[in-house]
Amino acid sequence: MTFRQFAFHNVLRNKRLYAAFFFSSMFSVLVFFVYAVFAFHPALASESLNQSVSRGLHTAEAIIYIFAIFFVLYSMSSFLKSRQKEFGLLVMHGMSTLQLRLMIFIENLLIGLFSTLGGIALGLVFAKAILLSAENMLKLDQSLPFYWPKEAILLTLGAFVLLFGVISLFTVMLIRGKKIIELIKGSSIPKSEPRASIVLSLLAALLLGAGYVVALITKGIEVTIAFIPVTVVVIIGTYFLFTQLSVYVINSLKRRTRLFWRRTNMLTLSDLSYRMKDNARTFFIISIISTVAFTAIGTLICFGALMMRNIDEGQPFDMQYLSSEQQPSQEVEAIRSYLGTEAPEYKQFRIEIGYYGEGGAIIVMPLSSYNVLAEELGSTMYELTGDEAIAVRRNNAFISTGSITSLEPVGVHQGAVLKPVEETKSGVVPLYQTYYIVADDFFARLDKPQMMKSYYFWNLPRDADELKAGRELNEQLQQAGLKSYAFGAKAYDKDQMLRSYNVVLFIGLFIGVIFFVAAGSFLYFRLYQDLDDDKRKFAMIAKLGLTRGELSQVITRQMLLLFFAPVAVALIHGAVALTALQHMFMSSLVTEAALVLGSFLVIQVIYFLIARFYYIRSIRQAVQI
Amino acid sequence: MEMLQVKQVSKVYGTKLAYRALNGLNLSVDEGEFVGIMGPSGSGKTTLLNLIATIDSPTSGEILINGNDPHKLGRNELARFRRRELGFVFQDFNLLHTLTVAENIVLPLTLDGANMSLMKERLTAVVRKLGIESIVDKRVYEISGGQAQRSAIARAIIHRPKLLLADEPTGNLDSKAARDVMQTLEAINKHDRTTMLLVTHDPVAASYCSRVVFIKDGKPFAEIHRGEQRQAFFQKIIDTLSLLGGDASDLSSVRLP
Repeated sequence: MTFRQFAFHNVLRNKRLYAAFFFSSMFSVLVFFVYAVFAFHPALASESLNQSVSRGLHTAEAIIYIFAIFFVLYSMSSFLKSRQKEFGLLVMHGMSTLQLRLMIFIENLLIGLFSTLGGIALGLVFAKAILLSAENMLKLDQSLPFYWPKEAILLTLGAFVLLFGVISLFTVMLIRGKKIIELIKGSSIPKSEPRASIVLSLLAALLLGAGYVVALITKGIEVTIAFIPVTVVVIIGTYFLFTQLSVYVINSLKRRTRLFWRRTNMLTLSDLSYRMKDNARTFFIISIISTVAFTAIGTLICFGALMMRNIDEGQPFDMQYLSSEQQPSQEVEAIRSYLGTEAPEYKQFRIEIGYYGEGGAIIVMPLSSYNVLAEELGSTMYELTGDEAIAVRRNNAFISTGSITSLEPVGVHQGAVLKPVEETKSGVVPLYQTYYIVADDFFARLDKPQMMKSYYFWNLPRDADELKAGRELNEQLQQAGLKSYAFGAKAYDKDQMLRSYNVVLFIGLFIGVIFFVAAGSFLYFRLYQDLDDDKRKFAMIAKLGLTRGELSQVITRQMLLLFFAPVAVALIHGAVALTALQHMFMSSLVTEAALVLGSFLVIQVIYFLIARFYYIRSIRQAVQI
Repeated sequence: MEMLQVKQVSKVYGTKLAYRALNGLNLSVDEGEFVGIMGPSGSGKTTLLNLIATIDSPTSGEILINGNDPHKLGRNELARFRRRELGFVFQDFNLLHTLTVAENIVLPLTLDGANMSLMKERLTAVVRKLGIESIVDKRVYEISGGQAQRSAIARAIIHRPKLLLADEPTGNLDSKAARDVMQTLEAINKHDRTTMLLVTHDPVAASYCSRVVFIKDGKPFAEIHRGEQRQAFFQKIIDTLSLLGGDASDLSSVRLP
C-alpha cells in the first residue's frame, strides 16, 4: 500500500464520514453552476436586457462565489475537527507532519474535484428546470431553451478547483501547530461551564433596543441617514445577544431549581447553555445572513409593488396622452384612428389645464372637466361657486407631498384670486404638482395662461386587448416619428415594467434563497456534529428510563431553539427593516412584508420538521427505545 | 421471597451464523440478596445483565422481577419501570458532564416528575450516606473516579429501586477506590435491604457479595456462598475461577484485599 493508495482508500472506504462534507461542497457547486448557466444564457444576452441588469447578474455570481468560499471553509473545518482523533492516532503511529498534511491535502482535493464534477453533472439536470421556471417568471416571450453551457462549465470548474486548492492548502497550514495529545483528546476535552457577563448581556439588550427604536421612529429621508449606524449597532447587539444574553438567560433559568429540576427541563436546559455558547457564532452568522436575505427580498418585492402602484396612480385610465397644444395633435389623431378600428366603443375624455403664475406654478382646471373624470373613475365630485377652489394633491407611492400650503387665497392672474375652501388628495388627474379646481365661469374669466395643455384619456371596452393595443400604438407612434413619450398605456407600461423588474426580482430571489438555504445547511452541519454526542448521551439516559415521548420532547425543544432562535431574530430584524423602509416611502407595505417573512417562516418550519424527523429517528435507532 | 427469577433464558445473536450467548439459564435471587456473577469473557455475563435490565430481550425463556415479566410491558411502561424499579451502576460511570453531581444524582427522580422537597430530602440523605456531600456542586470532570462511581451509585439508589444492577462497577477504579465502592454497595445492601446483582471480573469485588454465580458458555457453572470470612470467600472465588479454566487475565489476583 503506497501512501497515495492509503489516502485514496481513506476517502473511499470512509464514505459516510466524508458524505456530509462532500454533499455540502457539491451543493455549493450546484448552486453556483446553475446560476452560471442562467447568467450566461445566450437568449438573455441577446434579449437586449438592460446593461445594468446583466452587470447585476454577474455581480450576483461573485457574491455567490464569496459565499461558497465561506461555506466550503466552514464545512471543511468542521469536517476536520471531527477527525482530530484519527489524525492523532496516525501521528502517534509515526506519520510525519508532512505526510499528514499531504494526506489531508489529497483528500480535500479529491473530495473537491468529485464534488465539483458531481455538482456540475447534477446542475445540468437542474438547469433545465430552473431555466423553465425563470422563463415563466420573467415572462420572456421566446422560450429559454436548454443549451450546452460551455462557459458556465468552464467557469465553475475553474472557480472551484481553485477554491478547493486554496482552501485545502490553507487548512493544511492550520493543522501544523497541534500537539498529539490535543489531537487525540480533540473534542472529548470537557468544556468548562458557559458563563456570561451581566454587563455585556445588558449591553446586548440596550443596543438592540436602541437600534430598533431609532429604526422605527425615523421617517422619510432620515431613514437613509440612520441606516448605517443602526445596522452597525444591531449587528453588535445581535452578536452579544447570542454570545452573552442567551447564555445569561439560560443560566438564570437553571438557577431556579423549581423549574430546572422539573422532568426533562434538566436535560433540555443544561444542554442548551452549552449549545448556545458553542453555536453562538453560527447563530450570529445565520441570523445576519437571513436578515440580509429577508430584507433584500422584502425590499425588492416592496419596490415592485410600489412601482406597480405608481403606474396605477399615474395612469388612472387605460390610455392617456398629454398634449401641449390645444388643437388635437397628430399623435392624438393617430391614437384615435387606431382605436376607431381596433376598439370602436372606446370612451374619450379631454380636459384643459391652465398654467399660471411664474413658471406656470399655479395649475388650474375647470370643475366640469374634473367632475367628468371623477364620474368615470367613481371618485368624489364637487360643486363650486364664485372664486371658490379646491386644492388637490396627488397620491403617490414613492414621494410624500407634505401638507399643502395654507388655504390662503391665491392670486392667479390679473387680479383674479381663487380662494381654496378645501384640500384633498386624489388621483383623478395624474399630475405630479398640486392643482386647483375652480368653477367653470371663473376658469372662463381667466385668459392668457403661461401655458395651456390638453390631457386626453381613453377607456377601452372591457373585451379589448389593452396590452396589444398599447404595444401597437407605441410602435406606430415611434415608427411615424411622433412623440411617443407623452403617451401612456397602462397595461403595456405595466407589462414593460414587470419584464425588467422580474429580472431583478429573479436575481434577488435567487440570491435570497441561496443565502437562506445556506443558512439552513449551516444549521444542518451544527446539528450533525452533535449527533454522536447525543446518541451516547441518550443511550445512557435511556438505560435510566426515558420514554420515547420524553426523548423526542427533549430533542424537539433543543432543535426548536437551534432552528428558530437565529431565524426568529432575523425575522424580527427583517420586520423592523421593512417597517423602516415603509416609513421611507410613507406607504403601507404590510401585506408584502408579511408575505415575504411569512413564506420564509413556512419554509423554515418545513425544514425543521424534516430535520427533526431524521434526527430523532437516528437517535432512536442508536438508543433502541 | 424471590425478587428475581430467570427461567430457561436463552439469547441468540445473529441469524445466519447464530451465536448462543445464553443457553437455557436459570437463576433466582431472593430479596435483599447481593449476588455476584463471574465468568470468563464471552460467557454471557453482560448479556444476562442486559436482559435483566430490560435493555435487551431474551430469545426464549422468561425473566420475572417481583413476579412480573417486564419484557411484556410497552415501551413507555418499560421506561417508567426502569426508572422506578431498577438502579444502574456502570463501569464508565455514565454521568452527564453538562450537569453537576447533585443534578446527576436526582436525574431519575426529576425524569419521573417527583416534587422538589422529596428530591432535596432524598439528595441530602443519599449524599450523606455515600460521603460525597462536599462534591455535590462540582461538575463531573472535576471529581475523581471513585467519587464519580459513588455519585453514580447515589443516582442508582436515590429512587429506592427494588433491584440494583452493577456492571463492572470497579473496572475503571484503582484498588483503594474499588474497595470504597464495594464497601458502599455492601453497606447499602445491608442497611436498605436493596437486592443487588453485580457482574464483575474482579475477585475482590465479587468477595463482597453474599453469593457468587459462575457462568460459562451461557450456562451456570458453579455457585458459592459466602460464610463469615470475606478473605476465605475470596480464596474460594479464586479457586473456582481457576477451576473454570479462564485465561490468566480473568484471575487478576494480584490485588489482595
